[in-house]
Amino acid sequence: MKRSLRSWLWRVPLDQEVDEELAFHSEMRTRELVEKGIDPRIAREMVLARIGDAQRLKRTCVDLGRKRDREMRLTQWLEELRDDVKFAMRQLRMSPGFTFVATLTLALGIGANSAIFALADATLIRPLPFAQPKRLTMLWETNPQGRSTVAPFEFVAWSERNRSFGMMAAVTAASSRATTDADGIGEELDSQMVTARFFDVLGVTPVVGRTFGSQDDRPDSNVVVIGEGFWRTRLGGDPNVLRRLITLDGQPFSVIGVVPAGFQVIAKSDVWTVLNTSFMRSSAGVAHFLRVVGRLAPGITREQAQTDMDGIAAAIARERPEINRDRGIALQPLQEALVGRDLRLTSFLLLGVVGFVLLMCCGNVANLLLARTAVRRRELAVRSALGAGRRRVVRQLLTESLVLALLGGAAGAAVGVAIVKVAPALIPTGLLPAGVTLAFDGRVLMFCAVTAFVVAIAFGVAPARQATGISLVELMMSGSRTSSAHGSGLRRALTVVQVAVSVLLLCGAGLLLRTLFVLEDIDSGSRATNVLSMEVSVPFANPGLPSPGPYATEEGRANFYDAVEREVAALPGVKSAAWGGALPLDGGWIGMPAHVEGESPQPEGLRPIASYELVSAPYFRTLDIPLLVGRHFDERDIAASASVCIVDEAFIRLHLRGRNPIGARVVVRGMNTGGRPLPVREIVGVVAQVRQRPDELEGRPHVYVPLAQDPAPRASLVVQPAVGSAAALAPAIRAAVARIDRERPVANVRTLAEIGAQATSRPRFRAVLVGTFAALALALALVGVFGLIGYAVLSRSIRSFLFGVPPLDVVTFISVAVVLGLSAALATAIPAMRAARVDPVEAFRNE
Amino acid sequence: MPFKTPNALLHGTLDALILKTLVSGPRHGYAIAKFIEDASDESVVVEEGSLYPALYRMERRGWLEAEWGESELGRRAKLYRLTREGRAQLNAETAAWRQFAAGVSKILLAQ
Repeated sequence: MKRSLRSWLWRVPLDQEVDEELAFHSEMRTRELVEKGIDPRIAREMVLARIGDAQRLKRTCVDLGRKRDREMRLTQWLEELRDDVKFAMRQLRMSPGFTFVATLTLALGIGANSAIFALADATLIRPLPFAQPKRLTMLWETNPQGRSTVAPFEFVAWSERNRSFGMMAAVTAASSRATTDADGIGEELDSQMVTARFFDVLGVTPVVGRTFGSQDDRPDSNVVVIGEGFWRTRLGGDPNVLRRLITLDGQPFSVIGVVPAGFQVIAKSDVWTVLNTSFMRSSAGVAHFLRVVGRLAPGITREQAQTDMDGIAAAIARERPEINRDRGIALQPLQEALVGRDLRLTSFLLLGVVGFVLLMCCGNVANLLLARTAVRRRELAVRSALGAGRRRVVRQLLTESLVLALLGGAAGAAVGVAIVKVAPALIPTGLLPAGVTLAFDGRVLMFCAVTAFVVAIAFGVAPARQATGISLVELMMSGSRTSSAHGSGLRRALTVVQVAVSVLLLCGAGLLLRTLFVLEDIDSGSRATNVLSMEVSVPFANPGLPSPGPYATEEGRANFYDAVEREVAALPGVKSAAWGGALPLDGGWIGMPAHVEGESPQPEGLRPIASYELVSAPYFRTLDIPLLVGRHFDERDIAASASVCIVDEAFIRLHLRGRNPIGARVVVRGMNTGGRPLPVREIVGVVAQVRQRPDELEGRPHVYVPLAQDPAPRASLVVQPAVGSAAALAPAIRAAVARIDRERPVANVRTLAEIGAQATSRPRFRAVLVGTFAALALALALVGVFGLIGYAVLSRSIRSFLFGVPPLDVVTFISVAVVLGLSAALATAIPAMRAARVDPVEAFRNE
Repeated sequence: MPFKTPNALLHGTLDALILKTLVSGPRHGYAIAKFIEDASDESVVVEEGSLYPALYRMERRGWLEAEWGESELGRRAKLYRLTREGRAQLNAETAAWRQFAAGVSKILLAQ
């Protein structure tokens, strides 16, 4: 009875194990009886009788044995895993340099990916926080120029005639500002006007009270729904909020409900008031300023709804061709409409870029591991020779990769948390839609874990494959200590891929950066940058109210604007002060249909739209917008005098080609026109083109009208200092406005330079981000590159982010080539220098 | 008249006897049975129908380890060896038996 090494190999199937053991037992018993002198045949029968039901015994033993084997396999697996992990940890501890570099590489890759995943998750993946969000649809008007917001009369027709939507609601496209003294301090806040069923369409449950119902759809509605954030911060979470009155633009409104803090659609809003539908059928309902949201009725598909709406559009066009010719209706899933093309593209671009960065990380770590495996070949060969199976060795190596990936994943999650924490400060305002917030939540953590796992397999497979191709004999015969023939082809391929990827990223980043330089140089049309601007509002008061206030009349408003301009212009240090509308590069504008007398007559609804700007006399001088022909506005151009306007180059190109603009008469609706006949304005001057957006290719036609002849409820005050910085004038200007009327809120105090910077913030954000990732990728490639240079492949998708830069921009590519050349030189120089330091004798000995 | 398993042996006692048998070294199933019978002067007879299920069960619980070795006849035989857990179990069962036997003796052998 001696143990033998062969016992290891004597693994037999369970069935055979039991049979053999019992047979052995019977034989020994029989032998014992025979030795006592019993006849062998009788002895055998005695033994069989003693055992009894042999089949049953066998079944019991096999059954127990099967359970035993199952548990032992699990235990063994767990033990091996524990051993592997322990061994892997020891290996990693033994080479802290390798472990640190690999973990850091993975942490950067996984961290960057998790942060971008958080962005993509918030914008592209996570469903909207509404009931059955997939049924929600945005409805647009389509016209030959493209897609536009919806006019009230259209909204009424659509919602009355359609059979596809359970409910439809409209909301004012942009959030407007309202002033309130909710807590005794006058302040501006964001508000939206919505039709009565708006909250019902979206399925919003109020936190307190109720939302609007059809009984609130009245012209004199004075109820308001407020957001939870406003309720908690401005009203102190007052439990009796439903008995509160809050003043909006001087009018008292009673609070009827509070909606959850996360509820934001289209634009940020703190308060919601009712947009009544009674005016919508009148001629006042032709301006396009509504966004329409509908909830598809149960069982109706988007295609069915589209067919239904196409029929309605055709019917409306037949009935009122003068305003509805060539107009259609487009449906779009609400999520897509809210996130917007720009953000969707940015998210995809960044996902692609960080994906590449992660690939680089995997490549690098795989390279490091391959190098290590080459050194460890002897150890691995010995392990195989000692009986560790091929699968066992692969498992050990994969475990090492997994442990490494876990370290990297944990560090990456920390990097991700840090990025998401600082990101809101870096992301340009307005890029993320209202209601979307970046958060490092369980989903992102899950993403980190999955990424780490996939990455471990990705970079662990190569060394594992390489390791299994080793035989001890081959190794001993070769005699070399660190043969690198194995896997060196693989490593070279990895390096080539890395270089290619880093070239790709550098080219992309380069193009985006060049785009940025082009944008920075953009000519807004206004040569002034050291100008301070701020918005001041004098709301239309409801003329039906008992005390309409001084601003209910056009004269009252005109007087206010005039008084403020004089007061500010008289301040020491002010060179000039003026009123304007939408400022250059600020993005916003008010469009009005314009017609020049002498052109072929067209109904108002079909006339080309011009940007309608209300300005005071010194506006063009203050902003340094050159006058090309004719005269500026001056003190003659008051409400009582002849109606005049100034137009720009794009307007001339569109309406007055070949005609003398001065003296031509423009028919254009004003802010105060209402139901009165459209004003006819004589052109007195032509100014240079101004850009409203940095990426505008052709300038938009502008009509400038004296503010005194059409005093709007809101205007921008622009002030140029005599000397010094414009921003320094802000307190003095605020005080001057307050001297005229203490209650008029002043908002959005910015210099023109700031407006310009804000306008280019999105492309800059993209360029900086892609540039950062490209730099990261380059750093990673430097680690992997040893004198290999690949060729660039230019992605087609980068084109959509370029303006003013051709995709084959010479400057970019030369710069990339130079940077890459320098990097490659650096990467080759270091090993070369190291080689130069090696003692030749030592080097020969190594051979 | 010798005791016969399983009826005559108290539950758990067979396990303890097997464990005790293996303290001196690994044995195959027949040798275990034979040792118990010889050591008890054949007053305890171990039936195959109880012995082998007990061995498989104890192996499953980790008290025993089995391996293939060579028997005295030069044939391969399944040998059982005591594990660390098995040794601990034996100590526990021995202590319990001591207590039990002392209690029973106090009553049955009372004057």
